[in-house]
Amino acid sequence: MEIPSGSLVRSHCVGTTAVVYASDYLNKLTGEKIERECRRQLDSGCRALVIDFSDTELVNSIGISILLGIIDIAERNGAQVVFSDVNLQTVELFDMLGLTRHVALARDEHEALLSLSDFDTTPLSH
Amino acid sequence: MNPLPKNESFPRILGRVTRAEFVGRGKELDRIVKQATRQASGRGLLLLMEPSAGVSELLRQAYDQLFSLRTDTIPIYFAFTRNELTAVSAAIEFLNTFLQQYIAYRRNEPSLSYTALTLHDLVDLAPPADLEWVSQLVESYKTLRFSNDDKAFVRFCLGVPQKVPVKFGRPFVMLDGAQLADQLNGSVTLGPEVLRVFGQAGLSFLLAGLRRQILKAAYDAKCDFETLDVLRLEQLDSDEARILVERVAHRQQVSISEEGRDLLVQQFGGSPFFITKFLHSAREKRLTLTSYVDCQRLYVDELMGGQIERHFADLFEEIAPEPETRLALTRLLWETASGDKAISPIESFGKRLNLGPDQLERMLRKLHMHEFVNWNGALVEAGGGPQVWKDYLKARYRLDVLSEPRAVVVADALTEALKRAPRTMARHYKQQAKLGLRALLAGFDLQRIPALLFDSVRFRHNYRGLAQENLITALEAETELVKLPQVVHVASCTAFDNELRQVCEEGLCAVAHGFEEAMYTDAREVVWLAAQVEAKLAVEAGVVLTWCERLAGLARSRGFRRYRIWLISDEGFADNAAEVIKEYEAFTSDRQQFELLAGRFGEKSWLSGTVETDGEFLMVVPMGEDNELIAATAVEQIARRLNFQPTAINQIKTAIVEACINAAEHSFSPDRKIYQRFRAESDRLVITISSRGIVPSSFGGSQGTSIEVAQAGQERRGWGLKLIKTLMDEVEFERVDEGTSLRMTKYLRNSSA
Repeated sequence: MEIPSGSLVRSHCVGTTAVVYASDYLNKLTGEKIERECRRQLDSGCRALVIDFSDTELVNSIGISILLGIIDIAERNGAQVVFSDVNLQTVELFDMLGLTRHVALARDEHEALLSLSDFDTTPLSH
Repeated sequence: MNPLPKNESFPRILGRVTRAEFVGRGKELDRIVKQATRQASGRGLLLLMEPSAGVSELLRQAYDQLFSLRTDTIPIYFAFTRNELTAVSAAIEFLNTFLQQYIAYRRNEPSLSYTALTLHDLVDLAPPADLEWVSQLVESYKTLRFSNDDKAFVRFCLGVPQKVPVKFGRPFVMLDGAQLADQLNGSVTLGPEVLRVFGQAGLSFLLAGLRRQILKAAYDAKCDFETLDVLRLEQLDSDEARILVERVAHRQQVSISEEGRDLLVQQFGGSPFFITKFLHSAREKRLTLTSYVDCQRLYVDELMGGQIERHFADLFEEIAPEPETRLALTRLLWETASGDKAISPIESFGKRLNLGPDQLERMLRKLHMHEFVNWNGALVEAGGGPQVWKDYLKARYRLDVLSEPRAVVVADALTEALKRAPRTMARHYKQQAKLGLRALLAGFDLQRIPALLFDSVRFRHNYRGLAQENLITALEAETELVKLPQVVHVASCTAFDNELRQVCEEGLCAVAHGFEEAMYTDAREVVWLAAQVEAKLAVEAGVVLTWCERLAGLARSRGFRRYRIWLISDEGFADNAAEVIKEYEAFTSDRQQFELLAGRFGEKSWLSGTVETDGEFLMVVPMGEDNELIAATAVEQIARRLNFQPTAINQIKTAIVEACINAAEHSFSPDRKIYQRFRAESDRLVITISSRGIVPSSFGGSQGTSIEVAQAGQERRGWGLKLIKTLMDEVEFERVDEGTSLRMTKYLRNSSA
């Protein structure tokens, strides 16, 4: 079931994996919304994050720095992160700024979820 | 009386400019006109002027307005001038001026106010109803004129306003340039004498002069301060001064750029006197002021031998008439000013100037009056004053004392002025961009504020990323509140500890004294020590600790028993700072929290616009609010027309977005606007993104084109320029006096583009 989460970031859970959808423009404001949603999902027990960029046309460097922060947060929580459906121009940017060294890319959400199926997603005890 | 509606014009009589062209001073003008009314009858107004703040035009405007109102208040404006050498000659001039302006008003003939007339002419022009008392006055004048009692004669002349029969109206006398009255030779000290005569006669009057001198004259004259009001006149604020520069430049037909205008405003500290003199000189020399170089060349010319030099030279000559003393004084002032503490004991002044105690006291009093020094009896402090005074003093020291070649001094003065210009503007822009800490603190008055606004870490975890409307709703629902104290005094931290200047710009840290619950007891007294920490990322523990120690140290050294540290930073504070924050019980806020807090005091709105010219698109967008997207969308349309491939279009869009973000983040832009120029050529698209403000040190210096690979946890900002250089084919900073102008070119390629 999709959760609007009150901050206009779409997300839903598949098992213990949260799929969070980035908007058309990833900047400071929308990046922070994604970060907030990811934190919320991790706090709720999710063990993996898929950030889906199928709607994303434009990304700026501040948005990318926030994505790096999300990767940090996930690492600290022992969670895996996969970016899915990233367009070629955005992949080029991620490459330039070294983001792809810290995160796996998947063609689409389905492939992302498949790639995470090997990863242990047992919920952490709270 | 029926005051004129604001901004309504009235005929120009003594004013050098029309009311519409007169910039600023609206409140002061209203205050003076009000002082002239019957309600303030019998009260004096002391107009205390900061040196070079300019008062004469204000008084002439007041004269014109009062003349136009045609009430029973008869305006009289008299300016002491350097042409009068004695108190007696100044008193005669006053009597003449008084009668002339009185008769002009009574006859309602404004031109009589400034026509050259003799006493005989005035008797002839007096209205029949006034003829008797005017004739008697002139006869008495002739009798007393050749007596030996100068004091009695001066009092007679100054006392003319009392002789006006009440039925004909009430004179309101405005005396301008009171400092010059003290320079007059003879047995009468005119300044205090004016105050004695007017103060004891129950007349409404205004005495304008240097603030330190007027107050002293009032004490010397043993004035009854119960019957005196005070109006302080300082320099124009930046906005008013900018308008003044534009209007004077327009009148003088001097072409001036916005950058030049703003530099003059800052360099002259908003002084109408210096600004006007400077632009007059530009007109005389037929100069344009369209760059920093233009402005600073003329500035140095003015310092070395123009109107500014003459102004200071005249004052120096009055203060130290003997050339040898003047030379010694120049040396002493400069050496004191450039010393570590800029302070010298009075004995040192006496010894080095070789003056007796009385002469020394007179000289120091004049220096103090003109605010060239601060003299408190035992010590002389010489480091203050406006920049133009410091530059003048330095130039004279090098020319007159060190006898350095003029060419060397001029070249150094010019290069220093040019190097200083961007720093001056950067300081100004940073001041403008600062969060308004002092103003906000001054508004603290027992309001209850959600505690989360003072806890940046918790705020980030709870609220960051929340939509604005949801955030406001959530804050309204917060039950944990902080009750602010009633703040009674706010000043910069640097006013309490001068050494803080080395680590913090004035305005970025503040000390606010207040009382909780507005209960004025020791137990409820609290001092807020607030600082805006400059950082692009969340502030780490180490920096927080340094600031907490610094502010706690200030509290200890100043004996603040109860204090509250409040740190503010644009991006808030890192999680690892939580312990330090807790240890010091500090409040912390990021920019969003601060603005939410400040939101109760007002808000800004921005507009955008686009203009298309031949082959070029010009677009101006306000900074912020994702407006870079507007630019990106516009360029997408242009790039499509040129048949750029989608990948290239996306690269151009990203580069524009980054350029706009850089402009918004780094420039401290005064107008908060981004100027964009898109030029489509047959084989390329040239985009120029400009903004006013400062030139960030990181701009222009980095020539590399390769992107450094980011590591998680490393510095994650400042990638914009590197990205732009990778995405575009040519990237170049154009030379501008201030701000940035980044030109980016993308070539059209048939294959991959």
